[in-house]
Amino acid sequence: MFRLVVADLRRNALGALAIVLIVAFAAALGVAVTLQERALRLGSARAATAFPLVVGAAGSETQLMLSAVFLQPAPLGLVPGRVLSSLAADPRVAWAAPVGFGDFVEDYPIVGTTQALVDGLGGLRDGRAFARLDEAVAGAAVALRPGDRFHPLHGQASTGGHMHGETTYEVVGRLAPTGTPWDRAVLVPVEAVWRTHGLEAHEDEAHEGEQHEGEQHEGEQHTDEAHASGAPGAAQAPDPQAAIDPARVTAAGAPGVPAIVVKPRSIADAYKLRQEWRTDTTLALFPAEVLTRLYATLGDARRVLSAVAIGAQALVAAAILLVILLHVGQRRRQIGALRAFGAPRPAVFAVVWMEGFALLGLGLLAGVGLGYGAARLIAARLEAQSGVALPVLFTRDDLTPLLVLAGATAVLAAVPALLAYRQSPAAALRG
Amino acid sequence: MPALAVEALEVRFPGLATPALAIAHLTVESGARLGLTGPSGSGKTTLVNLVTGLERAGRGRLAWDGTDIARLSEGRRDRWRAANVGLVMQDFHLFDGLSARDNVLLPLRLSRLSLPAGAGAEADRLLARVGIERRDQKVETLSRGQKQRVAVARALIARPGILVADEPTASLDAEAGATVASLLLELATEAKATLIVASHDPRLLERLDRVVRLEAGRIRETGG
Repeated sequence: MFRLVVADLRRNALGALAIVLIVAFAAALGVAVTLQERALRLGSARAATAFPLVVGAAGSETQLMLSAVFLQPAPLGLVPGRVLSSLAADPRVAWAAPVGFGDFVEDYPIVGTTQALVDGLGGLRDGRAFARLDEAVAGAAVALRPGDRFHPLHGQASTGGHMHGETTYEVVGRLAPTGTPWDRAVLVPVEAVWRTHGLEAHEDEAHEGEQHEGEQHEGEQHTDEAHASGAPGAAQAPDPQAAIDPARVTAAGAPGVPAIVVKPRSIADAYKLRQEWRTDTTLALFPAEVLTRLYATLGDARRVLSAVAIGAQALVAAAILLVILLHVGQRRRQIGALRAFGAPRPAVFAVVWMEGFALLGLGLLAGVGLGYGAARLIAARLEAQSGVALPVLFTRDDLTPLLVLAGATAVLAAVPALLAYRQSPAAALRG
Repeated sequence: MPALAVEALEVRFPGLATPALAIAHLTVESGARLGLTGPSGSGKTTLVNLVTGLERAGRGRLAWDGTDIARLSEGRRDRWRAANVGLVMQDFHLFDGLSARDNVLLPLRLSRLSLPAGAGAEADRLLARVGIERRDQKVETLSRGQKQRVAVARALIARPGILVADEPTASLDAEAGATVASLLLELATEAKATLIVASHDPRLLERLDRVVRLEAGRIRETGG
């Protein structure tokens, strides 16, 4: 019986291959959509877990989360230096680190921060952390090695930023991989960022002859992108090779920063801190929660995508059914003949069913593999772009739809089998 | 070696005033070699389908050794045919992609889970008997005459008591037709099977014991 099925399929090898491929592509579409969506969700959620609580200036929660966790460049208001100073002194806080951005080296964002975040991100893989203002730590996916020197660029190289030629950093260490966009970041002391931009602000002001002591938004007018704005005077660190001074970062009079990453000591502390820093001028959020809310909003888009995939699969199923029916129609004589020569009806049913199920099942299996491969490929490309590790994986929940699909395949294959079963052998012999 | 008894058989097709086939009385003795002839549309194929149980008679009685196959259900007719009838058709109905040997064994393979003991040897014997030397050759590469000889071997693999052929030589050239005709007659005798052959081929018909001529669904004459 198997030999007959194999011989028949081999005789129609091209047609059979076409059916398998069509089914495979249709199944791959659905599998890829499911896996890719899950990878994005898991990957970004994992990226957010390194940042339990983020405090920023009052504004968009989503933007603050995207900027702090995913390093998306955007204009953000600054939180005054006293906020960081207060958080750093809070006994409920394990650590609090400023995050200041706006500059790039090539297309890698330069993030001004402190040792606390270097440790919070998982520490170093090699080299050491920055100890001087002109030292930097590269993320795991950054194409810079310890010993490399670079000038920061205001704005991304690909969008035509201008060079801060007067500042030079030397890479002294590399972060361990985190699977987050921070793998593509270059970490420098936040004071160095203040200094770079503080100097700029100072030059601008020379023409006006004014002093803006303590003003927060200085130096930001000339760009759309957020960066730590230095208050000249307060943040002056005249010697670029000076050692970093953690105390100055957390001083009450320190310049403002766009975001502060806070690691609370306990979950209860996290909620209390979020509550306290939701004020008229500051915003506190759990990135994971904002992300969840974002997904809830995007859930409709995912459903649309799934519906499109399911629709495509239904169309393919209908087309395949038609092809199989035509195929069986052509083989009516042969199948009828089987019965005339002594094959029982169930055997006729079984032969046709096995052929159909083999084709569709093979296509389904190939489709799952193909979809997995496609999702991996897309994830790899997105990972290279964003640094977010996208875990493409099957879960136990996938088993049910796959079994349902396999069952549907079995039922679908039964349609032509049933027609063959009902075929009168005498009519079949007449052709 | 079953004998056939047909009584008051009538087959009507919807929309036709006269019956397609009406046979008041026909008997075929056990081991007989009967020919059926007549013009196209005279009911030969209908009668072949009825005596092999491929179709069910509307009215009348059609009994092989007392088993009225006109009364059997479709599944039981299939089983009865598998056990008792070997069929040879004008168009061979071999399965392309399978070897000659696999084609001969196909009815047995499909009707049970495993081949009965000795089936393989019997297939080899039958193929040798009909003159097919390369048993593993795919049937689509055989000549028409060879194909019909494989079909004859297949008809006999289940050791049927009844061998029925519908125009077995019509699609063959004279030489191949003569070979197939001889094989049918010899093998029916060797297998002690009752042979019924529907044919236009006078050289085949003249070698049979008895020929029934059908016209417009009725028996016109019996000769031979």
